[in-house]
Amino acid sequence: MLVRVLTQIAVVVTLLVLVGVALFVGRYRFRDTRLEWRDRVRKVAPITAVLAAVLLFNSVARQIVPDLSLLVGWNVTWPIYDLEGQFILWLQDQATPVATAYFSFIYIYGYIFLLVFPVVAYFALSNTRPLRELLAAYTLNYTLGLGLYVLALAYGPRNMMPELVEALLYDTYPQYQHLTRQVNRNTNVFPSLHTSLAATVTFLAYRTRSVYPGWAVIAVVLGVSVAISTMYLGIHWMIDVVAGIGLAYVSVALAGHLVGRWSLSASLSERDLSPRRLLER
Amino acid sequence: MCGALPRDDQKTGYSRRAMLAATGLAVATSGCIRRVRSVVNREEIDQFSLTITTLPADGDRESILLARAIRTALEAAGMAVDIRMLPEDEFLRTVLVNHDFDIYVGRHPGGLDPDFLYETLHSRYVDEGGWQNPFGFANLTVDDRLEAQRDADEDRESAVAATLDAIATEQPFVPICVPAEYRLVRTDRFEGWTDAHPATRQSYLGLEAASEDATLRTAHTDPRPSKNLNPLAVEYRNQGTIVDLVYDSLATFDTGAVSPWLATDWTWDDGTMTVDLHEQCQFHDGEAVTAEDVAFTYRLLADTTLGSREFTAPAPRYRGEAGVVDEVTAHDESSLELSVDAAEAVAERALLVPILPAHIWRDRAVTASLPGYAVDEGTTEAIVTDNVPPVGSGPYQFGERVEREHLTLERFDEHFTRRDDVSLPEQTAGSIRFQIDPRSTSAIELVETDAADLTSLPLESYVVDDILDARDEVDGADPLPDDVDVLGSPSWTFYHLGFNTRQAPFGNPNLRRLVARLLDKAWLVEDVFDGHARPIAAPVAQEWTPAALEWDGEDPVTPFLGTDGEVDREAATAAFEDAGFRYADDGTLRVRR
Repeated sequence: MLVRVLTQIAVVVTLLVLVGVALFVGRYRFRDTRLEWRDRVRKVAPITAVLAAVLLFNSVARQIVPDLSLLVGWNVTWPIYDLEGQFILWLQDQATPVATAYFSFIYIYGYIFLLVFPVVAYFALSNTRPLRELLAAYTLNYTLGLGLYVLALAYGPRNMMPELVEALLYDTYPQYQHLTRQVNRNTNVFPSLHTSLAATVTFLAYRTRSVYPGWAVIAVVLGVSVAISTMYLGIHWMIDVVAGIGLAYVSVALAGHLVGRWSLSASLSERDLSPRRLLER
Repeated sequence: MCGALPRDDQKTGYSRRAMLAATGLAVATSGCIRRVRSVVNREEIDQFSLTITTLPADGDRESILLARAIRTALEAAGMAVDIRMLPEDEFLRTVLVNHDFDIYVGRHPGGLDPDFLYETLHSRYVDEGGWQNPFGFANLTVDDRLEAQRDADEDRESAVAATLDAIATEQPFVPICVPAEYRLVRTDRFEGWTDAHPATRQSYLGLEAASEDATLRTAHTDPRPSKNLNPLAVEYRNQGTIVDLVYDSLATFDTGAVSPWLATDWTWDDGTMTVDLHEQCQFHDGEAVTAEDVAFTYRLLADTTLGSREFTAPAPRYRGEAGVVDEVTAHDESSLELSVDAAEAVAERALLVPILPAHIWRDRAVTASLPGYAVDEGTTEAIVTDNVPPVGSGPYQFGERVEREHLTLERFDEHFTRRDDVSLPEQTAGSIRFQIDPRSTSAIELVETDAADLTSLPLESYVVDDILDARDEVDGADPLPDDVDVLGSPSWTFYHLGFNTRQAPFGNPNLRRLVARLLDKAWLVEDVFDGHARPIAAPVAQEWTPAALEWDGEDPVTPFLGTDGEVDREAATAAFEDAGFRYADDGTLRVRR
């Protein structure tokens, strides 16, 4: 079951990325990439290694976070529900089959595409700084997010109000249960890591809008859709989403700061050429 | 001058401390000070606020739905209600072991024999951890009647009725309903599902398998067995079905009757049970099962420190069953004598506890250790161990497990049921794989797509209509695939609301009765369970329910104060005021805590 779902996702996301490459990256960048890829790989290798290490650590740490959280964390489900339960109720009221299908698609496929495509697109740029910032921001999202998971123990709306969201994701498409169960624990809802990673991509896409104007528009649409989908499907509260956006903002700002400072290979040559100026040319 | 003092009332809203500071200097005469003292030195009466502890939908969907409906009803009576959701193991530990709750809503494992109420409510258990009296309830009448039904022989039915009557009057917990149990099964690889109740060990034995050594695959909606297999760990067990496959007990039960299992037979002679065991049985590690192991088990259940400390630490499970046993004497390798303080019907329940190997559990009768932490008295290794791999003597032995993914049990070839001269149901599946799949919808899908043979736990009620429609081929419903069938079974578990009577004002039976009257059980059954449950006033199986406590369209003891789930505020207010409770002008119920 899980294998089938994963294959399906791999196929769909690959197709989307190919379409994205054709639409946004273009022939010339593709040609340059073929010539320069070794150099670029060398430049992004350190941060990629850090991200890989963090992801690895994350997959192990997530097994113990719920237990750790129950030991030291603060159960915030009720305060959150008390504060904003009505909003989720209202959002659920707007449910239509079309919207459910759309947001389910976005939650699974749109989200993964949103995370994968900029890696490809930024790799196609001669300047590796956007890619390094992106990977650094992903790393920070996971690291800071994990810390927040330990401190805040919270269940999402679907656990509080199952009757409202029963027809949505997991019951309409039970196969996804197998997928998300591998990735997520039900007490890890604050903040929404789905939202924070999507918002990270959106922020960076906005920053690189002069290079990839079309992608910037798509990223904003997808980013907003992912944030709404997490609430629409009853997985996150609005507060989780707001916190996710905050986490994304902090991660992007920190990544910008850190990448400039600790760049191993390119810091000297890029000191005078800020990435923005470079991109805006 | 005294008249000029601001009054410490709601309008000015000064706190006591502020008042003291502000008036301390201004008041000169002693008479005034006395008046201030008289006004100020009174504890505030606050709005009655409480927290309902329950499970999230992933743990028990019906519990959180009930909790929210109950919250609405209690708020209608002027209370302030929070809900606290805890994961299943933490919920049980918080409620049953730490007694850290105001009220809780959840499922009770119940019991086929009403004697389970003894451990549930007898005052001698108020201080223990486990399903034994989590309410802290102590009432002499109820104690007397619980003891009387234990000792009763022919007149047990009326003794039970008297007990239930006293309990219904006191409402130490509010029994809400008995859910209907439905499971989905495949009949192409295994048949004979209806021979035994699917929550018992027999249901996994004696099946007709299409091929030898086939693996019986279940979709199990509770991840806990993949984490912990300790039969004594109350936080990880529901009814103990899986544990019963790994551990033998002297007797076994199925819908009603207790029949011999590891014991070939027993004789009853006025408080003394003489039991003979099947000879030459083995534990899964090859050690022999002896009468000494049996005697050890009862000693361990009574005190998991085995008397090594002054402070006894009874097991949090099997307390009711094993509690009737006063003494166990092993005669020889395979026969022993139990002296029991109960009539025969109740005494037989003592034979249902799992037999633990002494050579493994003896070392666990020590206080659990955690470096740098002062472990509480009574927290023994026997209670906290995850017991993986479990070593029992039961028909199936531990194979492997991956946390939150699966638990696989392998057939134990040396089990006594495989002997030619034993006519008990034996293993037909070579192994049993409990595939963890936390949601009913995906568990159903596993069965329908031939990835599982059975949903081993009852399906959540919101999917029941769908599978019943599919079975009955109702128009518009997708019919069930070939070889898939719905298995309906009676239940002896029930949903309930438990009070922590250690805390004011829950010690007041009038308050508990009034809370019970705020619950429209029939409406809850429709709203939360889609009608797939039976509202109850007595928490026992139907055949034990006396006529006076029979559900007759409304609750015979605590009729609902309202209609169609909607609390009649005026009636509720009047009823609470009648019982001595007071309301503030804003309609909030006020209590002194």
